[in-house]
Amino acid sequence: MGYVAIKGGEDAIANANELVEFYRIKARTKPIELAQILGQFRLLIDKIMGEGSLYAPEHAALVLKQNEGDVFESAFMLRAYRATLQRRYYSEKLATREMFVRRRISSAFREIPGGQILGPTRDYSQRLLDARLVTETMGDIDAFLGEFEAKLDRSSLHGVPTLSKVIDLLQSEGLLREVEADTNRRVVDITREAVKFPAPRSAALQMLARAETGGIMSLAYSAQRGFGSAHATVGELRVGEVPVRVRDARGRVRLIGRIRVTEAEMISKIKTQKKDPVPYLSLGYGLCFGQNETKAISMGILDRTMRSGGDAPCQTQEFVLYHTEGIESYGFTNHLKLPHYVTFQSGLNNLRQAVERKEKNRGNLGFGSKPAPQKINQPAS
Amino acid sequence: MQAIHQDNDSVLTECELPALKRLVESLETRHHIQVIKNPGICLTMVRAEDSLEKQEFFLGEALTTECEVSVDGRPGYGLCLGEEPIRSYCVAVCDALLHGESAAPAELLAFLEEHRALLIARDTEEFNHILRSHVDFKLMEQD
Repeated sequence: MGYVAIKGGEDAIANANELVEFYRIKARTKPIELAQILGQFRLLIDKIMGEGSLYAPEHAALVLKQNEGDVFESAFMLRAYRATLQRRYYSEKLATREMFVRRRISSAFREIPGGQILGPTRDYSQRLLDARLVTETMGDIDAFLGEFEAKLDRSSLHGVPTLSKVIDLLQSEGLLREVEADTNRRVVDITREAVKFPAPRSAALQMLARAETGGIMSLAYSAQRGFGSAHATVGELRVGEVPVRVRDARGRVRLIGRIRVTEAEMISKIKTQKKDPVPYLSLGYGLCFGQNETKAISMGILDRTMRSGGDAPCQTQEFVLYHTEGIESYGFTNHLKLPHYVTFQSGLNNLRQAVERKEKNRGNLGFGSKPAPQKINQPAS
Repeated sequence: MQAIHQDNDSVLTECELPALKRLVESLETRHHIQVIKNPGICLTMVRAEDSLEKQEFFLGEALTTECEVSVDGRPGYGLCLGEEPIRSYCVAVCDALLHGESAAPAELLAFLEEHRALLIARDTEEFNHILRSHVDFKLMEQD
């Protein structure tokens, strides 16, 4: 059934847009500056950039302000903005081993080369409300920062190290191997080429990297609860900044800045075949813009489950990739709010006709006439 | 140890913008600078690969500003992340002067060394703050 367009309503739509703006600022509070959003909503900015598939912190802050904190709408707007720009460069492949590490942990090994660095995390916090923030002042901020800086012993500073990866340990023992699947290694850009299933792994990784965090978390969680076989362990999770390099017009490789990313290397056991009874481990890979550990871990789990075979939702590539695409699922769900008058009326007409036909058939068979309503105390004749 | 900020582009893309702007304004007085291509924003598709199988994939795009100049007839290209028209112009001017046939201006080289040191100090301090969260969990059976 096709759609029928609507027309009119321009004044109401313009007024609705004006009302949105009214409700955004009607409290007459001090306008939020983008620098404040960038500084104090770091993780939200990262999430919007990841799902908007555009690394542009200032623009992410702008859309967040514009959309009153709606992450879906902000990511949608960032993607729309991206579509207006020309892609002029392809970077060299990111080297996450070069990362300026802000956080790096492993739940597989207690002792790892370079050590476990918790970094900025709320993992071990007690999730209690901090009432002090209600009355936080610049004085409080300055006091905290002063005390924080004073804790550093500047007489014995360590240099910034290059941290080897945890998977190196397993690889050196020969315990970590590629997934034995018929992997299509073609590099696909899903923004330029329609996805066909089964999709190459490159397409799956690209789609997961821009997927909606909650969506991929749900499916990754389903895998861990038994709907699909995933018993993954965080081999290594690292958060930090990596350099981006491109080739300039003269063909020279140039560093253009650093981006913050989260990388998760999820280790899981591979089911062995009869011909090769020795079990081994393999990797599910997660990488996304910004600090978004839930997303990177979920991506790593789903990368692995989609290659494991099976009928569970998390193992079905089309199910995972189509339904975790946040902008499409958000758009489709919200399009239900738009006028569907003709579509619905058409369905209603069909329904009425079916009821009429049934009534008519009943009449033909002698069952069609409705019995006269009887009063409760009236004796039957 | 990581050799951080050894690349001149690393310094130019991360140093304080007002300082970089002052440097280039000073260079403008002694060199003939022509803007070949005004600073403009575009996209860079970021390529990545998984750690084990080296499967390449596209991570997403990054907002980028590019600029092209000619300094005393030598071409210079400025590229940096974000919407940064002034910085991309400054990077382009420095690029032309650093990669020309004649020696780069002493003023520019001094700037790079000064700001390289500042950035290394900044990152080293930050990393040492981060190192304070270095953890060595003990198992319950251990003392």
